[in-house]
Amino acid sequence: MATEPVGVTVAEVELVAPGMALRRPGLVTIVWRFCRKKPLGAAGGLLMLLIVVAAIFAGVLATHDPIATNATSTLARPSSQFWLGTDHLGRDIYSRILHGARVSLIIGLGSTLLGSVLGGIIGLLSGYLGGKTDLISQRVMDIFQGLPLLVLALVMAAALGPSVPNVIIAISIPIIPRAARVIRSSVLTIREMQYVEAARGLGVSHLRIAFRHILPNTMGPFIVLCTAQLGSAILVEAALSFLGLGVPEPYPSWGRMLSVSAAEYAQKAPHLVLFPGFAISLAVFGSNLLGDALRDTLDPRLRGA
Amino acid sequence: MARFRSLALVAGLALLGVAAVTLVPAIGQAPKYGGMLNVMQREDPPQGFSIHETSTISTVWPGMPCLSNLVIFDPLKKQESMDTIIGELAEKWSWQDNYRNLVFFLRKGVKWHDGQPFTSKDVKYTFDMVREAKEAPAKLRINPRKDWYSNVDNIEAPEPHTVVFHLKRPQPSLLMMLASGYSPVYAAHVPVANYRTGCIGTGPFKLKEWKRGEYIDFVKNTDYFVKGRPYLDGMRYVPIKDRATKFAAMQAGRLDVSFPGDESRTIAEQVTKAEPRIKLTIAAQNVNDNMLLNVTKPPFDNVKVRRAISLAIDRRGAVQAVHQGGGIVGASLAPRPHGVWGLLEKDLAQLPGYGKAQEDKAKAKKLLAEAGFGPSNPLRIEMVTRAIPIYLDLSSFIIPELKQVGVEATLRQIETAQWHPLVTRREYQAGPNLTGIGPDDPDANFYENYACGSPRNYTYYCDEQVMKLIDQQSQELDPKKRLQMVMNIQKKLEEDAARPMIDWRLLYNLQWNYVRNLVPHQSIYNWGRMQEVWLDK
Repeated sequence: MATEPVGVTVAEVELVAPGMALRRPGLVTIVWRFCRKKPLGAAGGLLMLLIVVAAIFAGVLATHDPIATNATSTLARPSSQFWLGTDHLGRDIYSRILHGARVSLIIGLGSTLLGSVLGGIIGLLSGYLGGKTDLISQRVMDIFQGLPLLVLALVMAAALGPSVPNVIIAISIPIIPRAARVIRSSVLTIREMQYVEAARGLGVSHLRIAFRHILPNTMGPFIVLCTAQLGSAILVEAALSFLGLGVPEPYPSWGRMLSVSAAEYAQKAPHLVLFPGFAISLAVFGSNLLGDALRDTLDPRLRGA
Repeated sequence: MARFRSLALVAGLALLGVAAVTLVPAIGQAPKYGGMLNVMQREDPPQGFSIHETSTISTVWPGMPCLSNLVIFDPLKKQESMDTIIGELAEKWSWQDNYRNLVFFLRKGVKWHDGQPFTSKDVKYTFDMVREAKEAPAKLRINPRKDWYSNVDNIEAPEPHTVVFHLKRPQPSLLMMLASGYSPVYAAHVPVANYRTGCIGTGPFKLKEWKRGEYIDFVKNTDYFVKGRPYLDGMRYVPIKDRATKFAAMQAGRLDVSFPGDESRTIAEQVTKAEPRIKLTIAAQNVNDNMLLNVTKPPFDNVKVRRAISLAIDRRGAVQAVHQGGGIVGASLAPRPHGVWGLLEKDLAQLPGYGKAQEDKAKAKKLLAEAGFGPSNPLRIEMVTRAIPIYLDLSSFIIPELKQVGVEATLRQIETAQWHPLVTRREYQAGPNLTGIGPDDPDANFYENYACGSPRNYTYYCDEQVMKLIDQQSQELDPKKRLQMVMNIQKKLEEDAARPMIDWRLLYNLQWNYVRNLVPHQSIYNWGRMQEVWLDK
């Protein structure tokens, strides 16, 4: 007697779980709980939010054109006309910091996302497939991870040349092995879980298991990784720009503002160095605080620690 | 009244006494022998010590102490001219046949650093190679100043200590060019490639060791042909790229003299304020900031577009913003009082880009509109420049200036090693640039930077009428007539926006107060020999 199909499709099986889920709290509740439990993380988040708002509305908030020079007001001290003073070419530092936030965030977010996504995919495939794929890909990651983030980014930036897309690529490459390692370790645990075995038993394809069943469960570590790398990426961008390998002149970047000319005039006009340095510190501080708090919240091993 | 007279007499005598006490030791002080001079160096010399293959002071500055010229500008005289030229390897010289033949009578008994004798063959070898004569036994890899010698018909070495430059037409300026630090004599028995890594010269110092990125050490040449020179036992040139670091080293006493041209006005004032024992000397550099516009390609093959670019740049603003006042506005020859041939202020004011900034910008917009560019069709250009601060500051000033007339410019930064091949091959559209000229002389500048086909004519501007005018001024023997011709050429070059000049940099040279006899001239390329320098320690 031929066996009758059970009449239950994979999609239907998958639909069972949402129906059983508990009612999730709203976004406001989540944020409020996060703020109460992690006040420092919330402060970091607020800082990052302020920087994002400043970057988005830089055109409105800026008092001057960030690249316009002013021969009559070079190295001017902070005043009602120039809130944070001017640089050696008479450019308004406040406006340049606002516009520089765009560059820092675009490069920071762009490189973090690019590196984390690529690294995540490599980690996912490496961890799920295992065997030779895992062995080879992990040895390649070992090579990349052997070099410090800044050194590898420097080499890449020098090879690719200074421009925003190139800097994003240069910074994202050293992030790839870090992301790959984090995601792989999560995948190694998740792939042994019963629901994965069940999916496999039901004949779900490997690709679908990897991307539909395993990947969503690595989101916690992935978000933590992204926030943690964001601070480093902003700092590396500043370092690359400081060394002349970042965004080309005259467009502002915090690192470039700290660069050679600023160092030259630091004694005469310390505000040239102080304000961009302060902006970099705040951004890195904010992203690190937020990243730490998210890690504590999302990582089950550290939850409640 | 008598009492007043005696008071005046006493005061006068007292003043004389003070003057005698303060001035006599400075003037009459006997030079001291010995000591090591620590010299600031901007970077490792890109062409080693091969001065004939370079266009940068980074090579000339450490190359000069090892080499010698036929003639040179008196190291102790600040203002260079035909009258301050003294013999070096040439004991004396003579113009003959109405400036058509230049005869040099060479010193006898001069030895190269490897002990070989110096003869007229070395002179013929060097300048045949530089002018790329058919019979030249060697070839330079890069030859930036070939056109300085385009008027030399042949060079004759009739006897070991006589050499004759036969010219196609009179050219008094040849002597000025030969006196520049850019015109050393190479040894005929040493392959030219060896000068890129080492140095066999006849100069006051022998190269002891060059450790890349760390130091270039020289020792006194005890066989130097000028008796009693040099005073120093040796010198160490220390390459430091970062400006803040190198001047911190100077302030800390690790360096005795600054690198010519690297000092900005602000940093020089900071250093002297922090360390009053460091002396500041303000002089000229004979280096200008300019805008390279590639005339072989659109849109800069159109003179209207070039002129619009020239009009858009506020020269006086650049002096203030880029140099904090440490520069002078001028056309293609160094402005007065530092230069001899510069245009007068009233003439400059008539040229595009030298008038009132806002009026000039309005004219620029009009010219761009005539050339078909406007708000609906903005002119977009890519500028390229060297990734070093003095170039980047200039670029940062120019981009917003162009933006004000509707030109959207982006900047590509490249390394020095890529820069010279790129501009020589004209693989660029526009580029903020610095041009240094050996001596303050029209021939040196015009033939190098504006002559059709010159390797250093980076814009490829070539105008037959201008070439004729350049040749005419070159052979003019009456200084007044020549000055007028030179001024007319400068006006024409600026009107054609052949290479729009922006400003001329001033030198803010720093030396510790015990360094004696290192006198900055009006050109940074001509005072690095160091044979007169001594330390009052």
